[in-house]
Amino acid sequence: MNSSFTPISLIPLLTTVALAPLLMAAILKVKACFSGRQGPPWLIKYSTLFKLLRKGSVYSTSSTFLFKMGPVISFVCAFMVLLFFPFAGLPPVLSFHGDVIMLFYLLGLGRFFTVLAALDTASPFEGMGAAREVFFSALAEVTIFTILVLFFRLTNSLSFAEYFSHNHGITLWSSSAAPVLLVVIALFMILLTENSRVPVDDPATHLELTMIHEVMILDHSGPDLALIEMGAFCKMLFYAAFITSLLYPFSSGFPASNVVIFFLLLTLIYGGVGLAESITGRFRMAMVPNFILTSFALVFFAVILTMELVQ
Amino acid sequence: MNHISTILLALILLSVLLSLRTNRLMALVKLMAFQGVMVSTVPLFSGSEHGITFGLFLFFFLMVLVKGVCIPALMMIAVKRVVASREIEPIIGYHASLFAGLIMIVFSMYLINHLQLHLLPPGHKLLLVTAVTTMGAGLILLMARRKAITQVIGYLMMENGIYLIGTALAGKVHNQYLVEFAVLLDLLVAVLVMGIVLNDIHHTFDDVDTGLLGRLKD
Amino acid sequence: MHTFFLALLLIAAGGILAPISCRVFPLMKIMAVTALVGGGLLGGWDAAMRLILHSVPETFTLPWLQFCRFSLRIDSLSAFFLVVIFVVPAVAALYSLQYLHDSRRRAAVAANYFFFSLLIISMALVVCADTLVTFALAWEVMSLSSFFLVIYDSAEQETRAAGYLYFVFTQAGALFLFAGLGFLYSATGNFSFSGLADISASGKLIGFLLILIGCGSKAGIIPLHTWLPHAHPAAPSHVSAVMSGVMIKVGIYGILRFYLLLQPASPVFGQIIIVLGIVSGILGVVYALGKHNLKRLLAYHSVENIGIILLGLGVGMLGAASGNATMAAFGFAGGLLHVLNHAVFKSLLFLGAGALIQQTGTATIDRLGGLMKSMPFTGRAFLVGSISITGLPPFNGFISEFLIYYGAFHGLSLHHASFVLTVLAIISLAFIGGLAAACFTKVVGVVFLGEPRSDAAAQAGEAGVSMLLAQGILASLCLIIGIWPEHFVLAAFQAVQAIPLAATIEPASFLPAVTALSRTGLLFIVLVFCTGLCRRLLSMGKEIRHAPTWGCGFSRPSARMQYTGTSYGDTLVNFFRPFVRVRSHYSGITAIFPAHATYRTHVHDIFELGLQILLIRPVLFLTTRLRWIQHGNIQLYIGYIVLAILVMLLFL
Repeated sequence: MNSSFTPISLIPLLTTVALAPLLMAAILKVKACFSGRQGPPWLIKYSTLFKLLRKGSVYSTSSTFLFKMGPVISFVCAFMVLLFFPFAGLPPVLSFHGDVIMLFYLLGLGRFFTVLAALDTASPFEGMGAAREVFFSALAEVTIFTILVLFFRLTNSLSFAEYFSHNHGITLWSSSAAPVLLVVIALFMILLTENSRVPVDDPATHLELTMIHEVMILDHSGPDLALIEMGAFCKMLFYAAFITSLLYPFSSGFPASNVVIFFLLLTLIYGGVGLAESITGRFRMAMVPNFILTSFALVFFAVILTMELVQ
Repeated sequence: MNHISTILLALILLSVLLSLRTNRLMALVKLMAFQGVMVSTVPLFSGSEHGITFGLFLFFFLMVLVKGVCIPALMMIAVKRVVASREIEPIIGYHASLFAGLIMIVFSMYLINHLQLHLLPPGHKLLLVTAVTTMGAGLILLMARRKAITQVIGYLMMENGIYLIGTALAGKVHNQYLVEFAVLLDLLVAVLVMGIVLNDIHHTFDDVDTGLLGRLKD
Repeated sequence: MHTFFLALLLIAAGGILAPISCRVFPLMKIMAVTALVGGGLLGGWDAAMRLILHSVPETFTLPWLQFCRFSLRIDSLSAFFLVVIFVVPAVAALYSLQYLHDSRRRAAVAANYFFFSLLIISMALVVCADTLVTFALAWEVMSLSSFFLVIYDSAEQETRAAGYLYFVFTQAGALFLFAGLGFLYSATGNFSFSGLADISASGKLIGFLLILIGCGSKAGIIPLHTWLPHAHPAAPSHVSAVMSGVMIKVGIYGILRFYLLLQPASPVFGQIIIVLGIVSGILGVVYALGKHNLKRLLAYHSVENIGIILLGLGVGMLGAASGNATMAAFGFAGGLLHVLNHAVFKSLLFLGAGALIQQTGTATIDRLGGLMKSMPFTGRAFLVGSISITGLPPFNGFISEFLIYYGAFHGLSLHHASFVLTVLAIISLAFIGGLAAACFTKVVGVVFLGEPRSDAAAQAGEAGVSMLLAQGILASLCLIIGIWPEHFVLAAFQAVQAIPLAATIEPASFLPAVTALSRTGLLFIVLVFCTGLCRRLLSMGKEIRHAPTWGCGFSRPSARMQYTGTSYGDTLVNFFRPFVRVRSHYSGITAIFPAHATYRTHVHDIFELGLQILLIRPVLFLTTRLRWIQHGNIQLYIGYIVLAILVMLLFL
């Protein structure tokens, strides 16, 4: 229950973050495989980032300082969340009791500024996307905090380090397998929602009226867009690492084998996202709240199961 | 109660929640088939004193046949032949139904805790909670959906719930068979009657919207 | 107590000097504002010192009218509320220096200052009251003075209607409050606060419920909040800031003080408060999402934040009833710190709204736009207020919500109903945060960003210096409490000392988490600076162009084509449809080349509708039936008087 600072964990953190664009390419490769194509090269996201960093920017005459601040803040928020997350069972760079609450609110701060940057352009499309984004993320917050309630019931602590890198953490291979399985399913659904993946939003669409996340970044260019892309990679990495840590008890076992299994499972999760994108169609906008509320129902049900088992 | 029965009951509760939020008729029929199989499997693992006898296994087989194969097959035929659009038409909306289902779970826990039934062997709480929730959710489906076929499905869900209560209360082997046979017969008669009624409605109106029944006046 | 009385005297002097010197308008304003600010700072400093130095509670008694005593007592809880009561109106008074600039209305302005000082004094007396009579007296003075403040713009029909509604609500609330106080008097036999803990359990519940209704209508708890969205837009903005930031907290003080005095053992009290908190929090923000008038939107957000405060207090009460010290301490401390935080950021938002309305002449969100460029300081201050009210780090709203979460999470070991309610409290707090983010992105986005949607918005300029200074003070306070929260959290825990279970929590158990929060906030700011610097470096030497926003091929885009606030909140409001009534009027397109069409939506508060249908219409029906009594015949009126005297003599 104390705060801790482990600077050496910056190494696994930065390595994983550097690999995040590669994993995103995995999703594209899986989708291409399903449609019988070869797909883009593995290093596509890296070349996109470098291309953007080399470019200049175009700013709208309607925009203010918020348009320039938005990408910075959304990237910093996504990166800071990763600072508190234990990768492969190793202690995270920073941790304190109660850090989970702070981290999800930081993600909310990033979203707040992305939405404001979108509204700053005076474009009605961006306003539409922003309205949808705030609605769906408000519902997703409910599910996430119910997950935190469940985790607290299981471990009596409020810190990622305690959940995944200490001995009595949360894993699928314990007496509380059923609730954790439900959490994994619900968390996967939230991953698809928060990172704008297919059942909720199509990242490859070019029709602005149907976009949720991409339309909010429509007017960003150059280094700003690079920062936004990097922030999106970090956010996806966070949710995928969260699910991965639930699937295998990284807190016990050898560090070397842990790292290998972690990256294997991480790739599997990204591949799973590609799979979900390929086999499901995109929902009508009116059915998306239903989707998110189902994930809430699953976790709420898991909480009630702990009432029965623990009480 | 051992782990397997807990998993079965959790799966039944999940199927209940999913049946409340789905908007596709075929998905609902498949969920009912799944629920029927799970409900039939529960008595095998609910720890009766005599262990798994041949009679129990035979009965399980019969129930799976009826609840998991025959009745869903009949319903699928009805859906394919009779129903025009495969979308469930809700009266109270999917979000509200889902919340009602969650509230039903909490309410049934409250109810079971306060009834303090002493007839049961210990450990049957989850079974009773599942039973009451299934009955309540069946009632919600019965009342809050427009199509006649979803009313049949709601009725079937209520029967599943009553069957689970029967499993909890009947400790002795012979009593259990009695309850189960009675329920099964009841079920078959009900489905046959509803099939006939559906056919008649379809012949009269060319549609199975129960709202149209309101037009029948003298 | 001397500093306290000196502060009150200074404020009273400000109030009295204003009508006396109202001939010379600038002089009156300067004298009144100086006295109010001086008194406020003095009182605030005195109260803060009491909290920091852990002083013993002081008492002051004055025998009055032979049978009751006028008695004051300042303990740590009172001192905490006194800080809010003295400091925030002082800032609002500073704001009013340039806000009340119309010298033709000098009498109204003088009256405004007089009643403003009376309001501050009466609020200070309410939180220090030590007997039932003192409490009731100060409460009435507070209600009456705020009524006169609300009807400043009495030329407008809407203001008069709002003032009348407010008056009726305060008197009805006072009715219930007096009923509660009377019930407690009959149960204990005397007016003092000390014997209240010995009443029977059911007596405590009845008394608490009556006082809850009375204080709750002042605080703005749903369903007694109906006056808030009418009174706050009607009043001038500095008065709205004080009413919303400070006066409704006095209602919370009443609930908390009587809870402490009654010392109930049953968890029912906490359960009721949590349910009210959940309903007020969620519905408050949903109604806010549907409003077009900026000040009405902010008024509904006050309802939402009162819901959050009630959640904190309810969690604390549940903890106290079940012996969970962490839950009790953190719940109460979180609720109290949110009282302070809300006072700061809500006043900031109202002062900003006032500046906007003064400059553009309209409060309708959908007619504004692009004001960040023409009103940069107000815009940035309003942005700070918006981030704080959404409860996002690194500003102050997050700190109090974190404390409430902490307390609620540590209460997850309770059983049955209390467990379910605690889980619901956590879930609703998360949901409220998400919805508040939706609402404030709407407000900031539609009002300050984009292009101006009307000429009024295009011609706005920055507000006056005193108004900017007031907003700047409050905005910096938001940041300071967010980045260095330790002292403020300590003050909140100090205020909680009156609760025996919560007093057992040592600072060492909560300070590490709070210090970690502040360090993370600082790390965040440092990282933002570094990334911003990197971005600046990367953009150097590259081509930067400016161009109008790409409208996807529209040949003549206009500012009216931007997303409006109504559309932004539309899906969310419709999600809550059984609880919100949306009425839309569409004129339809009648000609082949349509020239003009109108579309209006209105989101109705179901509690207002319910009040109309269930209470007002039956009462009006009955009274219309009884109209025949007033026929104007003097002789029969004399007969009525004689009849009344006879009845009173014979039967009573």
